[in-house]
Amino acid sequence: MKRKWLAAGTGLVSALGAVLFLGAGQTQEEDVASGGEQESQSQPIQFPHDTHAGQFRIDCQYCHFSAERSVDAGIPPVETCIGCHREGLVAGRTHPEEVAKVREFFESNTPIPWRRIYKVSDHVRFPHLRHVAAGVSCQTCHGQVQEMGVLESVAPEAGDLKMGWCVSCHLERGASRDCTVCHY
Amino acid sequence: MSGGMERRGFLKAVGAGGAGAALAGCATDKVESLIPYVTAPEEITPGVATWYASVCGECASGCGIRVRTREGRAVMIEGNPDHPLSKGGLCSRGVAALQGLYHPDRLAAPRRAVAGGFEDISWDEALDALAERLGGASRALFLTGRQGPAEGDLLNRFVEAVGGTRLTFDPLDDVALRAAVDIGFGVKALPRYDIASARQLVSFGADFLETWLSPTAFAADFAAMHGLDHGEKGRFVFVGPRLSLTGQNADEWIPARPGSEADIALAIAGELVRNGTSAGPYTELVAGRSLAAAAAAAGVAEGALAALAVRFAEGGVLALGPGLAGSHGAAAAANLAVLVLNAAAGNVGETIHIPDAPDREAASPHGDLVEALSMMRDGAYGVAVTAGANPAYALPPAAGFREAFGAVPYKVALASVMDETAAMADLVLPVAHPLESWGDSEPAPGAYAVRQPVMSPVPLFDSRATGDVLIETGRRLGHDFGAASLREHVRAAAETRLDALGVSAEDGEVRWHSLLRTGTAAAAGSAASGSPASASAPAARRALQAPNTAAGFGAPALEGAGDLALLVHPSARFGDGTHADRPWLRELPDPVSKIMWQSWVEMNPAAAERAGIRREGEIVRVSSEHGALELPVWFSPGIREDAVAIAMGGGHENHGDFASGLANDNGVNPMTLLPAAADEQSGALSLVSVRVTVSPTGAWERLASTEGTRDAQHHQDDRRIALAVAMSALGHGEEDAGEHEGGHGQLQELQEGGGFIPVPTEGRAADFPLPGSDFGEYGQEHPRWAMVVDLDKCTGCSACVTACQAENNIPWVGERETQNGREMHWLRLERYYETVDAAEAGPLDVRFLPMLCQHCNNAPCEPVCPVFAAYHTPDGLNAQVYNRCVGTRYCANNCPYKVRVFNWYRYVSENVKEPLNWQFNPDVTVRDNGVMEKCTFCVQRIREAGNRASVEGREVRDGEIRTACQSVCPSEAIVFGNVKDPESAVALAAADERSYRVLDELINTQPAVHYLKKATFHDVDEGGH
Repeated sequence: MKRKWLAAGTGLVSALGAVLFLGAGQTQEEDVASGGEQESQSQPIQFPHDTHAGQFRIDCQYCHFSAERSVDAGIPPVETCIGCHREGLVAGRTHPEEVAKVREFFESNTPIPWRRIYKVSDHVRFPHLRHVAAGVSCQTCHGQVQEMGVLESVAPEAGDLKMGWCVSCHLERGASRDCTVCHY
Repeated sequence: MSGGMERRGFLKAVGAGGAGAALAGCATDKVESLIPYVTAPEEITPGVATWYASVCGECASGCGIRVRTREGRAVMIEGNPDHPLSKGGLCSRGVAALQGLYHPDRLAAPRRAVAGGFEDISWDEALDALAERLGGASRALFLTGRQGPAEGDLLNRFVEAVGGTRLTFDPLDDVALRAAVDIGFGVKALPRYDIASARQLVSFGADFLETWLSPTAFAADFAAMHGLDHGEKGRFVFVGPRLSLTGQNADEWIPARPGSEADIALAIAGELVRNGTSAGPYTELVAGRSLAAAAAAAGVAEGALAALAVRFAEGGVLALGPGLAGSHGAAAAANLAVLVLNAAAGNVGETIHIPDAPDREAASPHGDLVEALSMMRDGAYGVAVTAGANPAYALPPAAGFREAFGAVPYKVALASVMDETAAMADLVLPVAHPLESWGDSEPAPGAYAVRQPVMSPVPLFDSRATGDVLIETGRRLGHDFGAASLREHVRAAAETRLDALGVSAEDGEVRWHSLLRTGTAAAAGSAASGSPASASAPAARRALQAPNTAAGFGAPALEGAGDLALLVHPSARFGDGTHADRPWLRELPDPVSKIMWQSWVEMNPAAAERAGIRREGEIVRVSSEHGALELPVWFSPGIREDAVAIAMGGGHENHGDFASGLANDNGVNPMTLLPAAADEQSGALSLVSVRVTVSPTGAWERLASTEGTRDAQHHQDDRRIALAVAMSALGHGEEDAGEHEGGHGQLQELQEGGGFIPVPTEGRAADFPLPGSDFGEYGQEHPRWAMVVDLDKCTGCSACVTACQAENNIPWVGERETQNGREMHWLRLERYYETVDAAEAGPLDVRFLPMLCQHCNNAPCEPVCPVFAAYHTPDGLNAQVYNRCVGTRYCANNCPYKVRVFNWYRYVSENVKEPLNWQFNPDVTVRDNGVMEKCTFCVQRIREAGNRASVEGREVRDGEIRTACQSVCPSEAIVFGNVKDPESAVALAAADERSYRVLDELINTQPAVHYLKKATFHDVDEGGH
């Protein structure tokens, strides 16, 4: 009998899932092809958000294309990168070796296994479209991305991605604090 | 608590769980990747569902479906409202097609038989081998299921090209009816029935709401005919020895002996003829039939038949059947008798249409099969190919299929899983699922529907569509069928068909894409004279022709010495057994018996008592001259005392783990009790052909049933759950509880004090939150979600149960756990026998009630939760926050409706094998053990609609949100919406005079779910207030 009760208790943990926010890992060079789901602490491509979103003022939604119409913001298909970084077009002034990796992914028809930085728990629904429509800027949650280089960790603005942080903003803006707005 | 777990220890355990949960919320070592597309498909937006219209391939009905896909995976199937036949409805088997698509037991690659088993080979090797055999000198036999027009055409051309013979195998096709239409009207086709236009309906046993011809389409039409509309409804009389689900929906039951259909039909036709109508060349024959003789043959009172004859004389009474329930030694005669009755009643050309052309795809009569089997045994065929057919399971062993098939030198099976026939084959080719394939169907004259793949084939299974296999093999043999792939072939067929229908062809691409978008096309305005579009006009009225052989219309003889007729019937869940491998369907309570997983024999309690069987669940031995089976007994008041019934679908030896007994009890196959007898006139295999004896074995097994009551009559007793009202009591302007304003004084006082106290008050769902309790977000500005279920339309088909399970990631728990009452369905279809008498004809009242969380405005579950996991949302939902729940189960104990379910073990992680989990709805949290859960009113759909409306700067429109149960209901018995909006469909329906809420008057739970009382022709105790 006791074992069953304990099983029920521990089962809860798995039901709850986990908030993933990945600690600041060391940036390190590594083989492109091995950037899969292994214990990588680094992004497969050293993608500088500051160059793209800052220096060249490319709109966030140019790449994260579905943020205003979907719950998911969208990770750009490799094709989107190649739109600019095609052979003969932008070759990357400071880090041409990284652009070469993008082309390699595209030519070998391989998706880029980006390391996920932002993830809310499995039992949380975060509809991007609703927040974009409400005029919440990307930076409110994701920090000053346009000033960041390679994203390796959650921005300090994102609090700790815990519920208290969500709720305080909802409270401030008069958004609903009903549980089933996010949990179902 | 007998195991010694004290309360304190229990709290500690739960506390540890909570701490673990908190830790898990902080960090994890798991690194997740975000995998983008290399090149994004245009039609996919991550996080947004893409819907595809297609045609269901689970049975030959070909209902229209809309499949919801997310990121390229099919996650939900609903009905296609544009489809001319199914009109937006779908059955459980259609919804469970997802489990066929993602079934872990699907074949991963072509297989070749080697000593002691099979080895995987490549498609090239397999097709080379097949081509070599077919190109050889020996003759080939093709045994296939019924196909759509395009694939059927391809198959016929292929068979002709290789010089083979094709037989069509479909145990659920009504061979006898087609033969009867041939005898009566000279065309080998199934008639089309227009149930919606009939004023009254009589079924001579046909289970048209379960498996007969096109059950989902019939259910929609039946709701239109039989559902209460402006104070009127059509009467439905069921004639037959056993109440199937269809029979349970009747208003009157004439419990006639099996095999007496022809006697009754002809005698009533005789009455009509005596009243001056004509039965064509049969007029004289029927005039000689008397009601008294028919009543004696049927074992019912003459008065009942006389009353039925009077109804027929009033006009507009459509007779159906007898379907497979009348599939006995005189099946064609019984079908012909019912057609004669329809002719005498003037229905031909009105509510029953005889097509001009024979059916393209029709199951071969059993006689043809017998001949082929003997040729197989004699070595006449060098190759036998089966496709979409499993005769090794579905035929009675007495037919000798296995011996004959085994004698063929080279056997090829095109199958999805290793079924009994595939297990005997030398070469097994994995067939793509209909959701991955192209195809088409002709749902009605003048209509066309196309099947398109809704996703790329599941990569774990290297499968190909049958049509593609034929084209590829044909290419190897030098045969060109004019298309490089099945897709091309279907497209060409569709273009031809659209031209014939007169659908404008200004731009071929536009027309094709329009067909793919809606899934169906109908003939252009039939006004265009001389155009082929006139095919949409009703078929010409036909006259009965004289039989070329003297029609005997004798009663069929039942073989054997037993005292009980054995009724083998198709299963509403498994059909002929094809779908027995779907865990959703295995755990779906049978609509009649409410039993899950197991097989059972249905027996009248009086007959059981005579046989010395004392309680339900006793294992009995059912024996005929051909075999014996041991299985538990279920007491049914809906079966004659001289008959027992067993459903098809159990007792698989292969066909995947869920069907074959590796994962659970696999039940028994009733075909083993039958001889391979067939009706002589039609060649239809007889399902009602033997008498059996039933004897107790002394053993007992707990039935895995969802029924709360264990008495043999299955009453609801004096509990006022599923209510009915007599038609005569309606429309008298009786005051309805729903119309009272105010009256909340005491309740309001109590709520201000906090907590739930059962006191009798009156109120409406729209009144909540009550003034005084609207603090914080709980104001009047929010919608109030509510539901209305019309019990007069609900047929108990249980499609909603499976749709709910698919939409909400609800696990199945298995046979053992269901025996413990731990099934996890959020929606339960309750069934109560109120008025039923198997001994004589009379009124029938069987009630159905879909029971789901009532979303009480005064919910007993909420105040008892120690962690506020159960609470009320501002928009009126009774919510369950999984991440708060610690599993005390207090809420379930306090719920008077028993709609909260608890996940006792790791039903999800242990039961859901890859790739079944691909079906999970990504919008709903997957719960595992230790968490309480229940119906959420599909909150994910409410939130999605809310998000969309908010982004578009508008309110959610009425009808925009459809719950999963509502979206498949063929009868449209369910309405959902904002009850605070007085113009909404749900508010209007809730104000109906039949509206009531279950148990509300006793315990003042103020549910948001309203039911509309079933309307009966006879007086009922519960009528009125």
